[in-house]
Amino acid sequence: MQENSVLIVDDEPIVRESIRDWLKDAGYQVATAETGEEALEMVEKQDFSVMVLDLRLPGKTGITVLKEVKTQRPWIKSIIITAYPSAETTAEATKLGAIDYLIKPVAPDDLERLVRETLSAVGREPTVTTEVEIRPKPPVVEVVEVKKAFVITKDSLKSMVEGLAKEREVVGVKSRHGKYVYDRIASFEELCLDYDVTVMSPTKYLLPAKETLLRFKIGDEPEVEPVIEASPRAIIGVHPYDIKAIELLDEAFMTTNPDPNYIARRQNTIIIGADCLNPSPKSFAPSMGTYLTETGFDLLLTNIGADYMITVGSEKGADLLAKYAQVREPSGDEVAKQKAVRDEALAKYELSLNVPRERLPKLLEESYDDPYWESRSETCLSCGSCVMVCPTCFCFDVQDEVVLNLKDGERLRQWDGCVLVDFAKVATGENFRHDKASRFRHRIYRKGKYILERYGKVGCVGCGRCATACLAEIASPLEAFNAIAESVQAKEAAMRTIREVKPETELYAPRLAEVVKIDELTPNEKVFEFRFKDGKELGHRPGQFVEVSIMGTGESPISVSSSPTKDGTFQLAVRNVGNVTNALHALERGAMVGIRGPFGNGFPLEALDGRDVLLIAGGIGLFPLRSLVQYILDRRSSFGKVILLFGARSPAERLFLDELDLWSRSPEIEFQETVDKGDESWKGNVGVITTLIPKVDIDPGKTMAVVVGPPIMYRFVIGELKKKGLADENIILSLERRMKCGVGKCGHCQINGVYVCQEGPVFTLAQLRNLREAV
Amino acid sequence: MKPKVAFFDFTGCEGCQLDALNLEGEELLDLLNAVDIVNFREVKTEREDSYDIAFVEGSITRESEIPRLQKIRNQAKVVVALGACACIGGINCLKNHLPMEDALRIVYGEDAKYYDTIPARPADAVIPVDYHVRGCPPTTAELLKVIKALLLGKKPDIPSYPVCVECKMAGNVCVFERGMTCLGPVIRAGCGAICVTSGWHCWGCRGLVEDPNVDSEKDILQKYGLTVEQVVEKFKIFNTYAEVTK
Repeated sequence: MQENSVLIVDDEPIVRESIRDWLKDAGYQVATAETGEEALEMVEKQDFSVMVLDLRLPGKTGITVLKEVKTQRPWIKSIIITAYPSAETTAEATKLGAIDYLIKPVAPDDLERLVRETLSAVGREPTVTTEVEIRPKPPVVEVVEVKKAFVITKDSLKSMVEGLAKEREVVGVKSRHGKYVYDRIASFEELCLDYDVTVMSPTKYLLPAKETLLRFKIGDEPEVEPVIEASPRAIIGVHPYDIKAIELLDEAFMTTNPDPNYIARRQNTIIIGADCLNPSPKSFAPSMGTYLTETGFDLLLTNIGADYMITVGSEKGADLLAKYAQVREPSGDEVAKQKAVRDEALAKYELSLNVPRERLPKLLEESYDDPYWESRSETCLSCGSCVMVCPTCFCFDVQDEVVLNLKDGERLRQWDGCVLVDFAKVATGENFRHDKASRFRHRIYRKGKYILERYGKVGCVGCGRCATACLAEIASPLEAFNAIAESVQAKEAAMRTIREVKPETELYAPRLAEVVKIDELTPNEKVFEFRFKDGKELGHRPGQFVEVSIMGTGESPISVSSSPTKDGTFQLAVRNVGNVTNALHALERGAMVGIRGPFGNGFPLEALDGRDVLLIAGGIGLFPLRSLVQYILDRRSSFGKVILLFGARSPAERLFLDELDLWSRSPEIEFQETVDKGDESWKGNVGVITTLIPKVDIDPGKTMAVVVGPPIMYRFVIGELKKKGLADENIILSLERRMKCGVGKCGHCQINGVYVCQEGPVFTLAQLRNLREAV
Repeated sequence: MKPKVAFFDFTGCEGCQLDALNLEGEELLDLLNAVDIVNFREVKTEREDSYDIAFVEGSITRESEIPRLQKIRNQAKVVVALGACACIGGINCLKNHLPMEDALRIVYGEDAKYYDTIPARPADAVIPVDYHVRGCPPTTAELLKVIKALLLGKKPDIPSYPVCVECKMAGNVCVFERGMTCLGPVIRAGCGAICVTSGWHCWGCRGLVEDPNVDSEKDILQKYGLTVEQVVEKFKIFNTYAEVTK
């Protein structure tokens, strides 16, 4: 599925085409349909994220389209546009899952915003990835890969620095006026490796304050000569956050439109890093993931007391060690000491981000008009100190300078910054960021959003230099990030308060549903059919679960057994094993129970689309899997070969006998079953479910396997599937856990860092490999 | 034809003109190849009344200086204010805090009756000024930059941002972090933060930036221990005319 694909259904050409153009301009993939029939044909063939739907269509009405799309592709989100709003139609559309409606004529901005919000909601739905996406994520320190590390004595380090000084300029950290600065190092004794932070960052050696780009001669035919000046240099003692900043500069200056001046300097520079063990009180590097680094250096020093640990980060670094240093393998104690000093340093950081940094772009997106920018920038001097000291700021100005003969000259670039008054001023006098609030905001957006989105690297490394340099004490991005997070959270809370008047979105209060049908599957298992009292649909995906309430008894998580392609009602198959299920089994038709949900991610329908599917159910694992089987059979043409394997402990414990019979005779599905232990009447396979797997013929490159059963079954089934050559990404398992709240709060269902009710219960085997507690 | 350049001095120490002479031999020759200097009291005695570019130095502190400056304006195609006194009024404006009679009496005593004085003001308080070469004294480099720009027919690139930018470029530890106070955050750059780089702090000789956040700077100075009076004194030295002290 195209992540930003939108289908517009409207019979009026002008509406259809203008919406199409607006959304196209806004960067969406847009398709259009004139009629309901045409729309349904398109949805049959192709998936969309969002459908913008007119209700009054010739032929099939919008409501009909909505109904049919819902059965075909229930995840498509619909936005209704109508010139004739009525309470009935909008209520009906909402019931059918339309998420909002706009009254014609539609304002393009409103529609675009709504589509964007809808898409971001779509984007939050879990998809198949090898890493489990955990939300919300606490600020985490990046895992440092173990690289080759040695121990170097201070004497040996000294001779290495002295050796380096013979071949190249050596710069490092020195003390000046009680602060620290990068400067040329004349002797090893000057070098300070135990500093907190330097006034300016070492990026000044890669992008100097002023440098010549060109030399030229003025004339009828001007002569231009590029100037690339770089001499060999080693920078010693670079802290990890500055190394991360250099990595960002590398991305900005060495990938798209590679910058020859930067590259020449970079390639002539050796970076010898040093772990920051005494962080500046203004630093928040751990929150930005820059407190440690495993890349970006040639060598990295860690002060472990008498000696240094020296980690090799590049071939250049390894060569240097070989040439100039005497090192030895570290002892176990020394390796432990390195970890200990890093941990001690981590504990010293006093400041931290109150939101995961991954959320910053979105938070900022939502805070553009926040009054914070105006109020906080009131004392801004537009003095430029924040951007000048920033290691990730790299904006520059270009000016020509000529000599007095008025013939020869140079084109120079020098540092510039977006908080300076004239930064966005054009020759006509227009200043596109004329007020300090917009400049202040722009800088914070670069730090938290724009740079990250453009280069994929954090735009703020948390060094705290700007916070130190800003006399008005307003420059720290951390403070801005935390402030807007608080503001957005307050807004969200306010919005939640408004929504709370609608009972159906109460977090913990269930909706009433009537038992409309009860079938006994075995003496211990029944299937219940429910209809919500308010007539609404459950709106689930196969594989999701609900919390069933019997008031006074409690709540229990139960998988939905029916497919969303079935209209109006939903089914829960329940084994009588506990208090709630026992009470459920005692109910009769017409009884009311409470339902919350649906919860969880459900099976990855998008990933299954178009593939061969191998479904494996053990025992009551068929309860959730049945919803997927039904769904697949209702949309049979969307899948390749479909195989279903079912294993029960005994013939008496077989479930859904009518359907088993139907499937066994259906040409649409290859069905095989087995029982662990047969009896006189049983003519079929006997043996555990794993015995069926070798018999099936599958193409491991095309097949997705979906397995649901008791935990004990998984290990053996996985073993057989691996023998068939299935990749971990293509093996999908549904996990059973104690899901009490269903909304990622109570903690009962947690597997390592993952809440099964949020990121699960369906996982790929690849995801579970990273979750030690899972299987 | 080489443009004719003239230098005129009003009330000031003439240090700016002296500094303009502070050129390396070759540069001076290049300059003389590029322009004709027709009027320069510090250099030559001959004078001409015809010129294209007029550099005016010093502030205006006597009635008689007003028509003289106006005449220069009428004569020259381009008028450039040279130095702090001409650009922002400079230290001469300190007398503006006194009644003029008191100022005369303090300076001339019993002979005060032979002199006249008016509140000191920069050149552009009297005539329109095309360009400013700021500072006390201005740098030779900036003076040349303006001359070269004029010769090339372009506007000179003189920074509009505060001293902090150049101070950071110079790699200085902030004056405030060294236990002193500084006007750098609201004063125009272009000097290369020379005072701070030499271990001192910014006095404000290049004048306030356009739209300075003076309130914020005052708050900061007080936060760093200055009294209101001390803050005012700090601004007064060069920037009395800008009325920030009122």
